[in-house]
Amino acid sequence: MNYNFDWGVVVDAFPTLLGGLGLTLQLAVITIVISMVLAVPLAMARMARIEVIRWAAQAYIEVFRCTPLLVQLFWIFYALPALTGITLPGYVSALIALSANLTAFMAEAYRSGFQSVPVEQVEAGRMLQLSHLQQLRYIILPQALRQQLPVILSLNISLFKDTALVSTIAVADLMFIANTVSAQSYRSLEVFTVAALMYFAIAFPVSLITSNIERRMQLAAGHGPIGKKLFLARLVPGKKTVTL
Amino acid sequence: MRPAHLAQEKAPTMENAPTIDNVEQASRRGEVLVSARGLEKSFYGRTILKHVDFEMKTGDITVIIGKSGSGKSTLLRAIAGLTDPDAGEIAIGGKTVFADGARTKEWNTVKSDVGMVFQTYTLWPHMNVLENLTLAPRKRLGMKAGEARDRAEIALEEVGMKHHILSRSTQLSGGERQRVAIARALMMKPKLLLCDEITSALDPPVAAEVLEVLRRLKEEDGIALALVTHDMAFASKAADRVVFFHEGEIAVNSSPADAFDHCTNEDLKRFVDAVRF
Repeated sequence: MNYNFDWGVVVDAFPTLLGGLGLTLQLAVITIVISMVLAVPLAMARMARIEVIRWAAQAYIEVFRCTPLLVQLFWIFYALPALTGITLPGYVSALIALSANLTAFMAEAYRSGFQSVPVEQVEAGRMLQLSHLQQLRYIILPQALRQQLPVILSLNISLFKDTALVSTIAVADLMFIANTVSAQSYRSLEVFTVAALMYFAIAFPVSLITSNIERRMQLAAGHGPIGKKLFLARLVPGKKTVTL
Repeated sequence: MRPAHLAQEKAPTMENAPTIDNVEQASRRGEVLVSARGLEKSFYGRTILKHVDFEMKTGDITVIIGKSGSGKSTLLRAIAGLTDPDAGEIAIGGKTVFADGARTKEWNTVKSDVGMVFQTYTLWPHMNVLENLTLAPRKRLGMKAGEARDRAEIALEEVGMKHHILSRSTQLSGGERQRVAIARALMMKPKLLLCDEITSALDPPVAAEVLEVLRRLKEEDGIALALVTHDMAFASKAADRVVFFHEGEIAVNSSPADAFDHCTNEDLKRFVDAVRF
């Protein structure tokens, strides 16, 4: 390999890259919060007794699950103004597209979690005069979230990475900044390597936590004793846990 | 059709049941608490309840026996409001709670008098025993945390589980979980407790402990109990009435002595023999 690395470019651009990472994190966090809230009614609608509501929820979910996020982003940024006459800033378009997309996936995770709660537990709540909302709030949701936590965390990791797509509509996220610095300095290798490391530094710990939670859930479900284990052994995916 | 040995008994009617206002008096007199007439229910074309007439008196233990799928649990669920029959009427405390294929407004005034314990352990696993017991009183009765805890301690004491008040339900054995489930049902002070095969997953000694708890509840608190069980020893010792379901109909409704010692119903004889041995 005959390539002369020049990390000075990255050092100079690092504060700018960090600013981009900040915007990426901001987009991801706001999107996750919005989606986690909106997915509850959507999942409920998906299981509604009234067919029209169920079909509408299903249609929404399928549209957003079966079309590329990039197309959804472009549609909201470029096509929606043509349809409504309202032009949205790139940041708002990005938030809408990401939230709409993640909500669809999250709703399916919730639905699966809701359906994993034994019906007798809900009936027990009903027999104790708890309202539908109280049954949802105190019985169904805590168990469903717990059950689906690994899936929800995985979706959030994917979303965090997918935010890179918003750079295509000129939102100054980490990817957009990296692309700009790379174009100005012709140092793509260094700049994109550091950008990748920045994404990795955020996503990997969450991935480890996800693995840890999954393992704990397996143990709690009776697939082995919960003992004192080496912290790293608990975290590393696929590695057999060691009991001290 | 009513069995011959019940012919001389007065058929349950909506009129002769007490109103809910005098349930306390009725419990002393042993009057009709639950009255069901002409209940019918089908699931996916299969008839589960065939024009069932049923009644329960306040403070009584009614043991319901019969083969799986004979309609026992469906009857309990219909009384509990978890399943709506296709036809028939149900009255609780003299108030018609189900008629013309739907729950009436009266149901809202009496449903808090009905508690139910299920076959599977229905304690909420993300809460400890205390939280399981106090959730409904706090959220539905507006009870303060301290008051709810006091009531929980009393209820747990009744079922011999007070020392597990802070345990998680996953740390309890099957019998312990069922006893906590009974205590949870008691928190809402029901006048009628429906128990759907609550001992079927338990070892015989543990099942006997749970049934003993129920017998004490009847003796000490005057709670009426409708109990689906295969424990014939309990049925013969503690039950006031034994109801035998056969193919969606009540084939026998009599005292334990008549049901077990002077039984003329061949289906019941076969059932009892099969369960005992």
